[in-house]
Amino acid sequence: MLRTAASNAMRLGASRATRALSTKNADLLPPLKVAVTGAAGQIGYALVMRIASGEMLGKDQLIDLNLIETEAGMSPLRGVMMELEDGAFPLLSSVTATSDLNKGFGDINYAMLVGASPRGPGMERSDLMAANAKIFAEQGKALNTSAAVNAKVLVVGNPANTNALVASENAPDMWEEQFIAMTRLDQSRAQALLAEKAGADVKDVDRVIIWGNHSASQYPDLSHARIGGKWAKSIVKDDKWIKDEFIPRVQKRGAEVISARGASSAASAASAALDTVRDLHLGSGDAWQSNAVVSDGGYGIHKGLWYSVPTICKGDSHFRRVQRLPIDDFSAKMMTATEKELIEERDAVRHLLPGHESKPVSWNVLESLQTSFEEGDMKAVDEIAKELPAQFKKGVKTAKAAA
Amino acid sequence: MTVSPITVCVTGAAGQISYSLLSMLAAGNVFGPEQPVTLHLLEIPPALPALAGVVMELLDGAYPLLHSVTQTADPSIAFADADIAVLVGAFPRRAGMERKDLLQKNLPIFKRQAHALNEHASKHVKVVVVGNPANTNAMVLAAFAPDIPRANISALTRLDHNRTMAQVAARLDVPVQSVAGVCIWGNHSSTQYPDITRATVDNAPVFDKLGGFEIVARDFIPTIQKRGAEVIKARGFSSAMSAASAIADHLRSWVCGEDHIVSMAVPSDGSYGIKEGVFFSFPVRCMGDGVVEIVKGIEIDEFSKRYIDATAEELYAEREEALALLE
Repeated sequence: MLRTAASNAMRLGASRATRALSTKNADLLPPLKVAVTGAAGQIGYALVMRIASGEMLGKDQLIDLNLIETEAGMSPLRGVMMELEDGAFPLLSSVTATSDLNKGFGDINYAMLVGASPRGPGMERSDLMAANAKIFAEQGKALNTSAAVNAKVLVVGNPANTNALVASENAPDMWEEQFIAMTRLDQSRAQALLAEKAGADVKDVDRVIIWGNHSASQYPDLSHARIGGKWAKSIVKDDKWIKDEFIPRVQKRGAEVISARGASSAASAASAALDTVRDLHLGSGDAWQSNAVVSDGGYGIHKGLWYSVPTICKGDSHFRRVQRLPIDDFSAKMMTATEKELIEERDAVRHLLPGHESKPVSWNVLESLQTSFEEGDMKAVDEIAKELPAQFKKGVKTAKAAA
Repeated sequence: MTVSPITVCVTGAAGQISYSLLSMLAAGNVFGPEQPVTLHLLEIPPALPALAGVVMELLDGAYPLLHSVTQTADPSIAFADADIAVLVGAFPRRAGMERKDLLQKNLPIFKRQAHALNEHASKHVKVVVVGNPANTNAMVLAAFAPDIPRANISALTRLDHNRTMAQVAARLDVPVQSVAGVCIWGNHSSTQYPDITRATVDNAPVFDKLGGFEIVARDFIPTIQKRGAEVIKARGFSSAMSAASAIADHLRSWVCGEDHIVSMAVPSDGSYGIKEGVFFSFPVRCMGDGVVEIVKGIEIDEFSKRYIDATAEELYAEREEALALLE
């Protein structure tokens, strides 16, 4: 569904503030719209207060906060709204609560998709995938229809990477790079563990990378990590600790926290979400921030998967991937393992993704298909046809039969 | 040249309010983006495992300004060299408990903490009492920590102050930062008096727009008093996030100074006829660096005087009960 200039204009008109800004607001930037789903949950609760206090987008940035919940969550959401009101936050220009996705995502600049379907008793992993694919398909469609043209979407709800993929697939008018799945929590956890091992301040640790899926298959990589600017592996010369302790501990930290707290890690997850969006919006210099973004084929990762890689956040919601880092054999194995899991996750929900029938096929692809066919290179033809919508596959079959 | 960390001790550190407060402290949201913080977290022994989880999450936040974290059930460790103490932990009110019972449970706690603070904290420690009954707990603390200047002890009424600002702003549909002239008098209890008789929006008085004395008495004041219960009804849990935000505001105003007049429960100096010896919430000016001045010379109308007298009477009664229990 393409957005016409007219419908854009109508939406922009409708969202204009109805209250004149008082002179006290003269030094503040006009409001950015931030939507948070699952806003009445634990992570949402921890997140919205810190957003309202100006930590995420800057102390001079007014915010219109759109809180989105399911019908069942609307009553506790009222309580959250009361508390946000009671916070008397000067930067909170408005707060709305809704269960209507298009209303909630209307003209938003940032969407934080925290809400997801939790694993119920007796639920298989594939059931969890399917339940969430439905939710994130809806959200992708609503974002496509209603979000501001350059909106950035952070997917926190698990399985984050695949949820981001599903949402993006359902938002054909949005760039895939507008959807990011969160692996910042894992990065921060890894930084903290390395700092603890080295007896260093966590702020002196950088270039810790999280590769792959935000799951137990993630690869926390210290190959390029630094402590106080020096190569970390020259300070922590303990490969055994890295393989046997560090990596599993980062992978399983979520369970460790649940075991101690009796509840899952809300505050730290909210903190990571906030850090992610803040660094995107305000920039974080040359620091490497791990974000699960759509793979562009770099590092040999299958294109179109949401795979965590190191990025540099330039601010104004632009990022670029850190490319062509040297990868040793061990890392390659680990990176492939988590890629494999992501492919399986994608295949588990493939039947729920919008049909390829409506997807346009690029002229280059068609041309290469034709060329390979004319040259008799059927292997190449099959390779290309694999990625094409059904009607092209049928056409290839017919053409081969006729040949 | 790096700034040296300040040591902030939080009691009741595994509770709901602390859960919201600690990430604000660690992220630099209270004392500013240049001020590193050392956290000392105090809990009762049964809550230590949960506290361990809280500390894990603080570490997992990789906060650049979080210098170090200590977790303990020992007040002498928790309060060691503390520059700031936030006393959130208190014995909670159970169903059927009278005020006397609540006082009886809390006096020994705050007496013990007073000794520990007096003994181990920095000479310049600033203490904010949050756990209820906050005003009287603060009074007990002051009585048993003779080396801490009374001006360095306060109790929290900022949440009620913020709620009052928010209600005025909401009813008049204006941005909350354009509201001024409100304050909280008295005890942090059901007798507190949210005073909007001098409320202004962009410096224009709005008391009449808010309905005048009758509406205020019938509607506005009860709304503020019942707000906590309303939040519990909607959320199913008490208001942790807004309480934490208020604590952060209280500390920031107290330590870093504040442009606007705010409310804090401070030792009464006889202003407005309030007898000395109690901690009473007044409108105050925060000059920075812990210097707090009660705003003097406000003309109290008959309407307000009734409320102020009532909450003062309650505080005097609490004080008598506390002193009797301590014999």
